[in-house]
Amino acid sequence: MSSATAIAARDEQPLYRRWLPLAVMSLALITAPLWFPRLGGYTALASGVLVFGLAAMGLNLLLGFTGVLSFGHAAYFGLGAYGAGLMLKYVAPSTPLAILVGTLLGGLAGTLFGLLIVRRRGVYFAMCTIAFGQIFYYIAYKWNDFTGGFDGLRGFHREPIGFGALAFDITNDTPFYYFTLLVFAIAVALMGLLLRSPFGRTLRAIRENERRARFLGIPVERHIWLSFSISCFFTALAGTLYALLNNFADPLALHYSQSGYFVIMAVLGGMRSFWGPLLGAAVFWVLKDFLSSALPTEWMAFLGAIFMLSVLFFPRGMLGMLKRRGVE
Amino acid sequence: MLEVRKVSKNFGSLVAVQNVSLTVQPGELRAIIGPNGAGKTTFFNMISGYFPPSSGSIVFDGRDVTRISAHRRVAFGMARTFQITEIFPELTVHENVLSAAEVAAGQRLHMWIARADVGRAERVVAEMLALVGLSSKANRLVGELSHGDQRATEIAMALALRPKLLLLDEPTAGMGDQETYEITGLIRRLHRDNKFTIVLIEHDMRVVFHLADRITVLDQGRLLAEGTPGEIAASAAVRAAYLGEAA
Amino acid sequence: MLTLILYNVTNGLMLGAFYVLMALGLSLILNLSNVINFAHGNFLALGAYMALELTKVVGFWGAFLIAPLLTALFGVAVELLMRFVYRRDPVYSLLLTFGLAFVMQGLMLWWWGPTPQEMHMVPALEAPVSADLFFITWYRVFMVAIVIVTVIGVFAFLRYTRVGLRIRAGTLDLDTVSALGVNVKLLRTFNFTMGCLLAGLSGVLATGAIGINPNMGDDLLMPSFIAIIIGGVGSLTGTLFGGLLIGVTAALTAAVYPAASEVVIFVMLVLVLLIRPRGLMGEEGMLT
Repeated sequence: MSSATAIAARDEQPLYRRWLPLAVMSLALITAPLWFPRLGGYTALASGVLVFGLAAMGLNLLLGFTGVLSFGHAAYFGLGAYGAGLMLKYVAPSTPLAILVGTLLGGLAGTLFGLLIVRRRGVYFAMCTIAFGQIFYYIAYKWNDFTGGFDGLRGFHREPIGFGALAFDITNDTPFYYFTLLVFAIAVALMGLLLRSPFGRTLRAIRENERRARFLGIPVERHIWLSFSISCFFTALAGTLYALLNNFADPLALHYSQSGYFVIMAVLGGMRSFWGPLLGAAVFWVLKDFLSSALPTEWMAFLGAIFMLSVLFFPRGMLGMLKRRGVE
Repeated sequence: MLEVRKVSKNFGSLVAVQNVSLTVQPGELRAIIGPNGAGKTTFFNMISGYFPPSSGSIVFDGRDVTRISAHRRVAFGMARTFQITEIFPELTVHENVLSAAEVAAGQRLHMWIARADVGRAERVVAEMLALVGLSSKANRLVGELSHGDQRATEIAMALALRPKLLLLDEPTAGMGDQETYEITGLIRRLHRDNKFTIVLIEHDMRVVFHLADRITVLDQGRLLAEGTPGEIAASAAVRAAYLGEAA
Repeated sequence: MLTLILYNVTNGLMLGAFYVLMALGLSLILNLSNVINFAHGNFLALGAYMALELTKVVGFWGAFLIAPLLTALFGVAVELLMRFVYRRDPVYSLLLTFGLAFVMQGLMLWWWGPTPQEMHMVPALEAPVSADLFFITWYRVFMVAIVIVTVIGVFAFLRYTRVGLRIRAGTLDLDTVSALGVNVKLLRTFNFTMGCLLAGLSGVLATGAIGINPNMGDDLLMPSFIAIIIGGVGSLTGTLFGGLLIGVTAALTAAVYPAASEVVIFVMLVLVLLIRPRGLMGEEGMLT
């Protein structure tokens, strides 16, 4: 069965059935610092899930909803991280400013780069995104004095938000988790609005049949560029949160392997669904954390094997499979 | 309505179309025919803007569109269908035509629209579906429909764009007799009753002679003949070009 | 002074030779199968490790001949997996090779450990060509010679053999080739294997130049990408040209301003993307 009938079937369900999963998920996220540590996790890990979930959802705007593959989104993630870190370290101890600058830095870089490659498609497009991303990896890696080189950018930390008596201290894990959740919620709400709009439906049309979309009068390149640009802004925002989470920004955040992680998260969770990437991020990030501490030398091989298996046998991802079952 | 002047297309050293000219009057139904490899689809692709001609010009509705991109030609009033039906298979018939109607209403390009506009697009969809006879199948997935119905959906989408010119690339390709009959009837209604200007590529001569006001014959990228169906049928040159081809 | 320049230039040329070999292999796989082989650098490392082990058994020359073949054989196995995802969206094949890179890296790390290993070179090759130019060992000459021979061999193969013709046709229109009765599956396997062979060969050659470790191929992967983009996707000659271009440019920059020799590759990438996005020899319309 297809997405359309799924949508139709879903629309015919009573209201609470539609909102229930969302409500449950929201509840789970809000109470995470309570139950997550009991399951063996830790609050910072949960924050990490939100951060990577946001990054993957940002990428998925382009990948899952517009049908365009970028394998270089880590560049914008990393730019967000470094932007925020550099702001906090060298300019001003203001968290909101750091987030703003980081997001703008990554988003604008993506917007400009998107202009260059918007006429390309398929693997060539993907290759260009990879190569471009590596430029920033290289810069971060080499520019020791400014960026801290291979060791990464240190020497900054999360500053309290607000003024004087109203300052909200996010230094500890739990307050920071809620701060991240707030930013995540706002970002995701924006994304949702965007996707529900005619613009969002146009993107889907491009994904479904680019030629037909073009010959309906849709300026395809412009829309792809816009989608690319917007996705970079969201991913960059996630990057700023990453820097704040770790009080640290490292070149690996810019490496194409990080880009690959984002793609895998989206695919694992389900490219065609809105929340899929978040689910994928949760599974992937927790798994990676677990594997790398349990098997310090072999985790890479296991992780890679999981990638390959999921690609071979679960191409629709977790939510994709659930959707099929649910409708049938 | 449409004036194509001495248009040529080269792909490297391969000359697909050479110096072909064509003038279509408003309300006319023009058929482009020719043996395989004559360059018909390439010619069509240039008219619709899929790629630009190597030389020559195309004037549509008084406007030079030679170098203008495909999606803007749609805005100017050109709509086309493809030899291999291009639709959104995972959406319903209704949704397919709606997407066309929304683009035509300028809605799709915005990030938000007013509620009042939504109704307008829906009315267009209902109208178009009635026109092609798919109203009863509106909520079926296009991917699951018969070939003929898919084609009809595609035509409905093209019509929802409120075109001045309809370009149909082999509308009866891959169809059996019954479906061919139905599509031909549809095109005829569009031409006679709704007064659409139509240019179509066809291989099926029964369809061509049944529908066309004028016929353009291409052979090996060149204009071989042009005239009324009667003239073309009588032309020895045309018959020679088709020698060996099933008419 | 001159010696220093020559030193840098020879280093650069050697690097360029590797770029060319790697980029060619990548390009072959990319053009026909539309797959970016993220594991290409790992195939290089595999070739190196195979050579390391084989030298103990059959000596250097034996290893030199057999290691690339073994790597290619591994490539066959990998390609069989790829068959599952060819039909689907390109994202899946990318993820597959991406995951494969992790697996290969992890396995090699586990089996051989992270410490770089040295290869025992044939003494004759280790000798320098002349006393003055001590850094130009016979090995380097040998290496460059092999690369030249291989490149000519690849191009000749593609140009003059039937299989080569099918591959070239396949990069333009695989469906038509299939409709002509060619076994496309086999063709893809063969092509992929050839790409891996080149990577394996690079690995074997690399044993005499750099230490053998699981990451050794990584530094060559990105320049290979860039060589392909600069040269023009879809054009093997373009890739060759791109590889040579960045190799030579890196070499020359190294002679003048060594710190910039890596950056210059990225600069060229950006320039090409700005000025001629289809690459120097790419065809317009090579959109995939």
